[in-house]
Amino acid sequence: MNVITNHPIPEKFRVLAETVMKGQTPLFALVGDLDLSGRYNDSVMFFTRDTIFAFDEKHREKYIAVKIEALREVHVKRMYGNALFKAVTVDNKRLNLLRFTYSAADIGDAAALYVNGVIEHGFNDDLVEMVHATYNKQRSFCPRCGRKLPNPEAECINCASKKNLFSKFTRYIVPQKWKLLLCVILSIITTIMSLVPPYITRIMVDDVIPSASQGVEIAMQRLISVLVTLICVYIVQYTVSALRGYILRYTGDQIVINLKKDIYAKAQYLPLSFYDKTSTGSVINRVNSDTGTIQNFVLRISQEAVVKFFLLIGLAVIMFSMDWKLTLFSFVPIPLVILTGKFFGTRIAPKYRRLWRKSSAISTLLADTIPGVRVVKAFTNEKETTDKFSRYCDDWMKEDRKAAVTANIFPNIMTFLVTCGSVIIYAVGGSQIITGSGDLTLGMLVSFVSYASMFYDPVNFFANLSDSYQNTLASAEKILDILDAEPEHDFGKGKVPERLQGRIEFRNVNFSFDRSKKVLSNINLVIEPGDIVGIVGTTGSGKSTLINLIMRYYDNYEGDILIDGINIKDIDMSYYRSQIGFVQQDPQMFRDTVFNNIAYGTPNAHVEQVMYAAEVANAHPFITKLPDAYDTMLGERGVGLSGGERQRVSIARAVMKNPNILIFDEATAAVDSETEHLIQAAIERLIRGRTTLMIAHRLSTLRKANKIIVVDKGEIIEFGPPEELLAKKGKYYKLVQIQSMSDKLISQKQAENFE
Amino acid sequence: MPRYLDGPEVRFTINDGIFLDTEFFNGESYEALEPHRMFPVSGKDRYIALLDAEGKDVAIIRNMATLPEKERATVQSALDEYYMMPKIKRFIKMSDKFGIWMWTAETDRGIFTFEIRNHLTAVKPLYDGRVLIKDADDNRYEIPDVNKLDKKSKKMIMPSL
Repeated sequence: MNVITNHPIPEKFRVLAETVMKGQTPLFALVGDLDLSGRYNDSVMFFTRDTIFAFDEKHREKYIAVKIEALREVHVKRMYGNALFKAVTVDNKRLNLLRFTYSAADIGDAAALYVNGVIEHGFNDDLVEMVHATYNKQRSFCPRCGRKLPNPEAECINCASKKNLFSKFTRYIVPQKWKLLLCVILSIITTIMSLVPPYITRIMVDDVIPSASQGVEIAMQRLISVLVTLICVYIVQYTVSALRGYILRYTGDQIVINLKKDIYAKAQYLPLSFYDKTSTGSVINRVNSDTGTIQNFVLRISQEAVVKFFLLIGLAVIMFSMDWKLTLFSFVPIPLVILTGKFFGTRIAPKYRRLWRKSSAISTLLADTIPGVRVVKAFTNEKETTDKFSRYCDDWMKEDRKAAVTANIFPNIMTFLVTCGSVIIYAVGGSQIITGSGDLTLGMLVSFVSYASMFYDPVNFFANLSDSYQNTLASAEKILDILDAEPEHDFGKGKVPERLQGRIEFRNVNFSFDRSKKVLSNINLVIEPGDIVGIVGTTGSGKSTLINLIMRYYDNYEGDILIDGINIKDIDMSYYRSQIGFVQQDPQMFRDTVFNNIAYGTPNAHVEQVMYAAEVANAHPFITKLPDAYDTMLGERGVGLSGGERQRVSIARAVMKNPNILIFDEATAAVDSETEHLIQAAIERLIRGRTTLMIAHRLSTLRKANKIIVVDKGEIIEFGPPEELLAKKGKYYKLVQIQSMSDKLISQKQAENFE
Repeated sequence: MPRYLDGPEVRFTINDGIFLDTEFFNGESYEALEPHRMFPVSGKDRYIALLDAEGKDVAIIRNMATLPEKERATVQSALDEYYMMPKIKRFIKMSDKFGIWMWTAETDRGIFTFEIRNHLTAVKPLYDGRVLIKDADDNRYEIPDVNKLDKKSKKMIMPSL
């Protein structure tokens, strides 16, 4: 049975389905993952032109067939963590047809739309096409890994990144390759230099000191020449080492700064849905500390690993040429060292990951409460906040303590094993010298022990590499989470229309933040250029979400939003947003001058342009009164200005853009009535000839509006000119009544008081 | 001020699995109210609102324990039907293939495999040892007490806590 489906058809219903449907080919199938009692199980529903076949072990006879003409309607009832496909028959019987988790809920919606379409208008091919389109959208999987993609053409970020996690970071390293290479060469020089002193020790012990028998003067002369050589070697070694340290640090800084810049830039372009799920504190943590971990690792790999590798080879050659038997003895502890290192790696990795989570929790709390210190104080919540912080710190400490145990026991075990190696050499070599067997001299033994102890260092390094690798992996994962996250699309690509007239059209728009609750459903409306549209509705009805969709803060809605007949997803994002002036309820100010705050988003703004904007926004009068006027430095989030003043600065900001579409989200909600008049006047001056959308609680602010949208529970229940809506005596009429009543009450009370 | 229900004041009848037909002893009656937990995470048996078709609460059950046995069972069955947050008994497999975490777990509702997109935000440990998990499709799962998991499961989940 070849049929469009969201999952493979469950084997256990295949045969039954074929007999029941008697060779009919269904149009599509909906595979559920729960049975009707809510346990994980297979279930499936087939849709044909006129019938629904639902297969579930809990149905009597394991299936149920329903003629679509016998149905009044069907719907997907979303519950908590699961959903039911329900049908109501013409004679009002309710049927549960299929149950599934949210994984299949979107497909379920499409199927319900199909059935309801058939009930209403009869069967037609458009309905099937619509369902198939939804299925195709759902089935935009990566062909390699099966991961769901944000859109059908998107590149699978997982396959790209997992090919080699660190290949992602090579582009930060490549520009520094010459400096890094120079560092490697310098390191090799210092390494060679470090191999010389043990050799000189051997000469001292074996040749120079015994030569006293040939005369003190000759011996002294030899001693001095050997010592001078030694000093020269040291001078070269440490000079080169200092130079290398400088270049290395500088190069490392460049790598990490470039990485930081990129993460920050990427963070700016990430869609709001990313920030809904990720705390800003953890993003800050990634920019600040995780980049450092990466830097360390890059340097370890590109520098130390190379150098230690050469050192290892060099030492092995020297040691073997001195005494191969002794060398083999000194290798005895190596397997143990490596095994311990491996074991250590598996033990420490999860601990580091937990540690990261805890420290990220601390930064999140900081980012939350320090900027919110006013609220903390207002509710005398200092103690609770402090307690919470210390609890988080204690948590971190507990974790760190656990990690510290592991991180300290294992390296010391390894060092101990290494020391055992030296003991073995002394035992074997010492007994050889004492008994006089073999041709080992005292000087050779001393220098051999020096070389051997140097030999364990790179071994130790490579064994320990897994530790820092794990630590880095955790950080790299975090960083790639940002670097690889899907950014907002269409910056610098897409259409750039000459000028936006400002005709806004919503076609069958549905939207939900996550799958659990629909925020907007079935939005259809047309706003003509120059319209001034008031959006009213209770809190949480979806007014702001409507605006968020127009702003393209969220892109994953169903249906289309068009501006001047062009789908907004096809318009270049930066051009598009530059055409919209958005004044928010709580305008965000930056730590900068008033001038720069107004000119924000308009680089190279002329002074007079800014002052004009301030004038239009009624901000100029209060700014001129400030001692530093336009040069007044604002604190974080605009400390130093009142709410109304900040609002007017943000209106001035919108004026600067000279937008064709204006959006006000409760611009006067938080100010006194006198300021409201000032802002209102500014707004009225600004909106002339521009398509304007205004969300307002106070209906009095909408007196200029020529159209009103009433939003309720995510649906548009009324839309039209205010007079018409008033005449209709619907929800808008009721809202006006309520408000004018309370206004009347207020004026009555005032009148009473004045009497 | 919401209308609180304490003790025997109403009679419930199940309607279509998740709804409750509600008759108050004073004669008021409502059809098909939807019981909704006000604290589905932190307190499952307290403050259960009964919503009408408009989503307005007609009454709030303050504490399930105060209801008579029969009514409590009725409300419970409606809630059980509506809320699905499987309790994870043990983890069978966690694979990290191509950067997607697929977790297979045995729950009180059977064995299921789900996708975790970002285990930093998907897993939320609470202070009492409970762990809440949200998968890539926004389905929810719960580990009642992470300390009581078997050793193998614990080892698998620990790094994500």
